[in-house]
Amino acid sequence: MAFADHPTARRSERSLLHRLYSAYGQEAVILVAMVALFVIVGLINPRFLSPENLNTIFSGNAYIAVAAIGMAMIIITGHIDVSVGALIGVLATISGTLAVAGYPVWVAWLVPILVGMAVNALVGAMVAYARIPSIVVTLGMLSILRGGLISVTGGAWISGLPKEFLIAQAKPLGVPAPIYFMVILTLAAAFWMRYSAFGRSLYAIGGNPEAARASGIPIERRTVMVFVIHGAFAGLATLLFATQLQIIQSTVPPNLELTVITAAVIGGVSILGGTGTVIGSTLAAILFAAIGSALIFTNVSAYWLRAVIGVLILVTVLADMIRRRRQGRA
Amino acid sequence: MTRFLRHETILAVLAVIVLGILAYQSDRFFTVDNLLNQGRLMTEVGLVAILMTFVIATGGIDLSVGSIIGLTAILTGVFWQSVGLPLPLAALAAIACGTFGGFANGVIITRFGVPPLIATLATLALYRGLAEGISQARSVRGYPEWFYVLGQGNVLGVPTQLWLLVLTAIVAAIVLGLTRWGRTVYAIGNNEVAARFSGLPVDRAKLAIYTASGFAAAVAGVILVSRVSTTRSDMGTGLELDAITAVVLGGTSIFGGRGTIAGTVLGLILIQALKNGLSLAGVKGDGTIVLIGVVLIVTILISNIVHRNGNR
Amino acid sequence: MKKIILASLMSLSLSASFAHAQSPWTGGDDLPTNPLACDGTAGTVAAKPYDGGEATNAPDRKGKTIKVVDVPKLVGIGYFNATSKGIADAAAEMKTMDAKTDGPTKANIDDQITLIDNYITSGVDGILFAANDPVAIAPVLKKALAAGINVVGYDANSTPDARQWFVNQAEFNGIAKSVIDNLAAEIGEDGAFAIVTSTFTTPNQARWIAEMGAYQAKCHPKMKWLETVEAQEDNILSFNQANTLINKYGDELKGIVGMTSVATPASADAVTQAGKCGKVAVVGLATPNAMKPYVESGCVKSVVLWNPVDLGYAAAYVLRATADGDLKPGATSVKAGKLGELKVINGSEVLLGSPFVFNKENIGQFDF
Repeated sequence: MAFADHPTARRSERSLLHRLYSAYGQEAVILVAMVALFVIVGLINPRFLSPENLNTIFSGNAYIAVAAIGMAMIIITGHIDVSVGALIGVLATISGTLAVAGYPVWVAWLVPILVGMAVNALVGAMVAYARIPSIVVTLGMLSILRGGLISVTGGAWISGLPKEFLIAQAKPLGVPAPIYFMVILTLAAAFWMRYSAFGRSLYAIGGNPEAARASGIPIERRTVMVFVIHGAFAGLATLLFATQLQIIQSTVPPNLELTVITAAVIGGVSILGGTGTVIGSTLAAILFAAIGSALIFTNVSAYWLRAVIGVLILVTVLADMIRRRRQGRA
Repeated sequence: MTRFLRHETILAVLAVIVLGILAYQSDRFFTVDNLLNQGRLMTEVGLVAILMTFVIATGGIDLSVGSIIGLTAILTGVFWQSVGLPLPLAALAAIACGTFGGFANGVIITRFGVPPLIATLATLALYRGLAEGISQARSVRGYPEWFYVLGQGNVLGVPTQLWLLVLTAIVAAIVLGLTRWGRTVYAIGNNEVAARFSGLPVDRAKLAIYTASGFAAAVAGVILVSRVSTTRSDMGTGLELDAITAVVLGGTSIFGGRGTIAGTVLGLILIQALKNGLSLAGVKGDGTIVLIGVVLIVTILISNIVHRNGNR
Repeated sequence: MKKIILASLMSLSLSASFAHAQSPWTGGDDLPTNPLACDGTAGTVAAKPYDGGEATNAPDRKGKTIKVVDVPKLVGIGYFNATSKGIADAAAEMKTMDAKTDGPTKANIDDQITLIDNYITSGVDGILFAANDPVAIAPVLKKALAAGINVVGYDANSTPDARQWFVNQAEFNGIAKSVIDNLAAEIGEDGAFAIVTSTFTTPNQARWIAEMGAYQAKCHPKMKWLETVEAQEDNILSFNQANTLINKYGDELKGIVGMTSVATPASADAVTQAGKCGKVAVVGLATPNAMKPYVESGCVKSVVLWNPVDLGYAAAYVLRATADGDLKPGATSVKAGKLGELKVINGSEVLLGSPFVFNKENIGQFDF
């Protein structure tokens, strides 16, 4: 996914590889790192590459990738959302409660998506029209949702979910359903961001709001819309999250927002807004999951897991900064 | 100047109202003992938030402070018990390491031009990871009695660490409000490119601020160890969000260029008073969290509306 | 282009360093262990004088209605919902206790300390707690004692002198024996197993794991303990970690032990979804409601736990007896409502009983 305003200089003089690299820079770095990881760990312990394990890595973490798609759009538009983990926790509880109460499963699937959109419409409106910075609104929402969830549920778990509700456990053609969700949603979002006028306008808003306004883009309405879309992705992520097991834990998954933001950012979405793709964020989400799994397969002490991830984030970001500088000079 | 004060005025009025209501709700709230004790409990967040005000006023952010607290705590224990340094030296060495963590943030941000949010997101994971790796999930306990003076003792009837907090707040308020340094901070936050062109030492200032933020977090880490008398690698988790909430509630613009220490201190007091007062009035912890979220949004909302009306 | 090479080199050297670190870690703590005898004869416990603290100048609370706050490690998980229910049941039965539960939303020492501190100021008569860290919680509990508040712990202890009594659900070595014996019965004396725990810093879990290691080495020496993985208190992560273990060890893995009420059902779900029921046994600590689907389907044969409702119930009665002055240092037993007489052990601990094993026959009778 190249973006319209990406500086790709002297196209003709460069090899195809160079062109691919400069257009898909961050994605390429992650992809190469991922392939290297899979090859090396696969050599150490071939079971790492078994279909079951690939399923675990891809399917068990698809909800993070799906949530990161919406987050990438938010960040590309120049905003941030630190409340997404809490929102997913709340939506999962709503979904499970409906399913257990005997509503048709499609209601239990659909309502959380709609609620996610509604909540984020409110957030978006506060950001766009009341001009409260998104980090402030979502910091507040994080508190409200997390505290509210415990207040309302008292922390009771939801069990006794009907079998047909558990969509994440379905395996059409032998492939777990979450993988379909992740791949289709990522590709759809990527095409939409690349080719629709709406999608492209998000880059413009994030890159230079004044210029975007001058060129006639209705910034406020688009901002609310992108939050609503992000809410829909949070709802879809909830669908995978809540139906993975036969019980739903009605607490907010710890540090989920940080994982989602990190995936989006490492995937090449510039926190300054204006650049990045959703393919990168999905790749990054999978890379994290793969690293966690690789550590177990290679018997590395889990004590160092977070340090390894920290180093990895730093290295990718620094590599990206250096690459951008060089392109700026070329 | 009136524009700068407006948010703080709203906040001060709000704080007085809240304190009034809470004092009315429970006669145990407005006692000297309770208030001093609350001061003790808010010192760690307070120290971090005061320096965070500088960071945010330049348009930056520092998410790694909670992890620096954890790392400093673990290093204090490790230097003392495993390396065998005398405890004061161990604490100083740990603070030096924490400060270096802040310095490293500054280098990544200024030398490589990495946006602060990403840079400190990475070091958030890295420093916490180092704390976990170094500690191997072991706690260090059994510090000598004198060490607890810092976190559990009193000086002239006031909790030891509260003196430190007050002193830091005063110095920080002077530096930010009255010196050339402070004006540089605002200038960077308002327009970094312009600040650079007008010859201000932008990179040097930012490097100093992130280093100072690391230092404050490191000191808070040692205080926390002394207060709870043990070290764990998960200490300070999530503290960065509490500190940022206080700073933002205090009127510092997340985009930089605006903010005062007085506002941050008011924000800190308001949050701590809500947590404590609501608990005394019988509200459970989860209800309090909800209310703090609402207060944060509503305060900024009101402040924005007032501002806009004042400007137009 | 160099960056790509650089990135591959980075991952290469990273992976190389992975390969060097080959020794799996255990996740246990390094305190001395005391494994029980293999045949089930009770361990010899040396009588110990009372080593708990004393509430200074506590007012006479005998028979009066007392205000009690219960501060668990965190709210929002099945286990502490159950203890909280037990406390509420006991309070309703006594009619002289006004109890409420308030805890942090994350298992965080600092939040827990602040909460307790606030309740001391608000003037409660008694505090029930389950400590996130035994040492870190001590100063604030001592402050409560100094303020004349009766302090009783349950589930997770503090240092003894920071509270009056601790209601011990089951001794660490007893849990360890029960888990390992059940596991051995299912996977055989030479089976290999792995453990899914919350974090290596959680004191109770680390203690159980250490005791399990010692007991297994002593009584089931041929069993093979493969490794321990961390999964926070997060059920999807637990599920993924259990799956990864299944994938990594393949047929070698005969059993998974879940150390928390989150990890055990998630591990059972992983085994179910992998179609490994009957091939990989899941044993562990968990609450019956969360385990019912797996026990009823036959995928899980035994779940080890004390009854947390009883634990909360006993803690409330011990606090009542302490406040009334009926439970004094040196006592050898205490009366706890419908549970009858409970034994005092270890100087200042009240023992709830032996761990309970839930199975297909009895799990339907429990609702918590």
